[in-house]
Amino acid sequence: MRGNEGRLRIQVEGLSFTYPGASGEALRGVDLEFEQGRFYALLGRNGSGKSTLARCMNALLTPTGGRVLSCGIDTAEGSTRRDIHKLLAMVFQDPDTQMVATTVEEEVAFGPENLGLEPPEIRRRVDDALRLVGIAHLAGRQPLRLSQGQKQLVAIAGALGMNPAFLLSDESTSMLDYSARHRVLELFRDLRSMGMGVIHVTHFLEEAAEADAVVVLDEGRVVASGPPAKTLGDPERVRSLGLEPLAATVVAGELGRLGHPVPGGALDVKELVTWLNA
Amino acid sequence: MAQRLRLEDVSYSYPLPGREDAPALQGAGLSVESGEVFCIAGANGSGKSTLAQVCAGLLVPASGQILYGEEAVVGRGALRGFRRKVGLLFQSPEDQLFADTVAKDIAFGPRNHGLKGEELKAAVVGAAGLVGLSLDELGARSPFSLSGGEKRRAALAGVLALEPEVLVLDEPFIGLDFEGRERLKSALVSYREERGASIIIVTHELSDVWPLATRFALLSKGRLLGVKDKSDLISGDTDLAALGMKLPQWGELARELLRLGIPVADQSDPLAIAGALASHREATGDR
Repeated sequence: MRGNEGRLRIQVEGLSFTYPGASGEALRGVDLEFEQGRFYALLGRNGSGKSTLARCMNALLTPTGGRVLSCGIDTAEGSTRRDIHKLLAMVFQDPDTQMVATTVEEEVAFGPENLGLEPPEIRRRVDDALRLVGIAHLAGRQPLRLSQGQKQLVAIAGALGMNPAFLLSDESTSMLDYSARHRVLELFRDLRSMGMGVIHVTHFLEEAAEADAVVVLDEGRVVASGPPAKTLGDPERVRSLGLEPLAATVVAGELGRLGHPVPGGALDVKELVTWLNA
Repeated sequence: MAQRLRLEDVSYSYPLPGREDAPALQGAGLSVESGEVFCIAGANGSGKSTLAQVCAGLLVPASGQILYGEEAVVGRGALRGFRRKVGLLFQSPEDQLFADTVAKDIAFGPRNHGLKGEELKAAVVGAAGLVGLSLDELGARSPFSLSGGEKRRAALAGVLALEPEVLVLDEPFIGLDFEGRERLKSALVSYREERGASIIIVTHELSDVWPLATRFALLSKGRLLGVKDKSDLISGDTDLAALGMKLPQWGELARELLRLGIPVADQSDPLAIAGALASHREATGDR
């Protein structure tokens, strides 16, 4: 296990971004730091700037103010874009729009091939990625004939084939059913344990509650960041950020109002039951 | 409540050239009552969109029958009449907005149904009001300039302007944030209250429909496994995980209260739940 010193980081410093022709800023002075070996959830109402931030981090968008250092590389330097894409792989919401090849294996090989790697190395990466994601048995199948959940796993395997330091998931679970979502979340936690940094943009607070740290954006600014219990534990605050508080959080809030505070709040039913029996 | 729509032993297969037809729906039977919010729930690929399109008369079952009220929907005339009573909001309906203004987009359906002049205008204004879109503010704008939530509601207004007695919505909450979902839900509740319409919501995410729906048709691999009340799902008589779904946290909470023998009159009221938990803790703490 490497110490904190050896971990790569994404440093977001005073980042602002305005889309061409837009009247307002999509991001306004965002300061954040992400490191490898941690699982982050990025939350916020529609239009809060989540996807814009993710796209600025992997150099799909260039800051109009401030800067982003992704694994030490300034994203504003156009010549380094390829290096950044190697280090920060991205998975999107709709897997159908991400499939290009006729077999799963070729799909996963697409990224490593573009990196210009030697065939044995490509083979090794494809095998590793398929095994890690648990879809080795689908290697010869046609991506477009798979279920939504399987397709998204193929997209993630494709991202992992790049051997990235960070995985950026832009709402990759939002079209999936619970089983598929559960599988993807499990995978994110495994990747984190293996030392990868995972940044997951989501609408689901239950998913965010499982992250190491949560970042909430609103109107292009960071309005909350820290451990889930701290950022998501106050129902009124959560609502004011345009998010739906979890049931356990809402009930814990009412208990506080009735003079029975639940110390530290509650994000799931288990925590309420623990309090009940304490 | 009176029966509004009934499916009896309905099957449907998508034709696949050169192959045996793949059954997307097999022997499905259900009945939706007037004014009910009914949920069709299932994982991706369970056949729920197919069932939604059968309910809306868009797909004609290969076998089995549909009854609207007490009348069987048989023959082209009956099918045409049935389709006028049922409105369907497709998945990602904002992809289908096409007119150059929001008002024209909402007016498209009723105009096609022969509405003109003041009558047409009233239908459009009424529908926009129900979904909480201000025509003064947005009516003349391009639908493409709206936010995701506004687009979804504009598309819904286009369906509501036809005043359907049954409204079928396919995954209406996907991609919407909390406020977008809440606005859409309140539009559905207003429409149901105003018109006594039945609402059928198709989803893979039970938490989205939990406060709205009273009954849940559970689908898996093209088969209807049963129609459940909320209390059935809470008591745990169905293995939702095996169907690729999950009980929402509000349901988990209700299940836990049941297990602990803590009675709560209204399980949708957080204050009532908190009160019951507080009393329980005080009572057991005194032992």
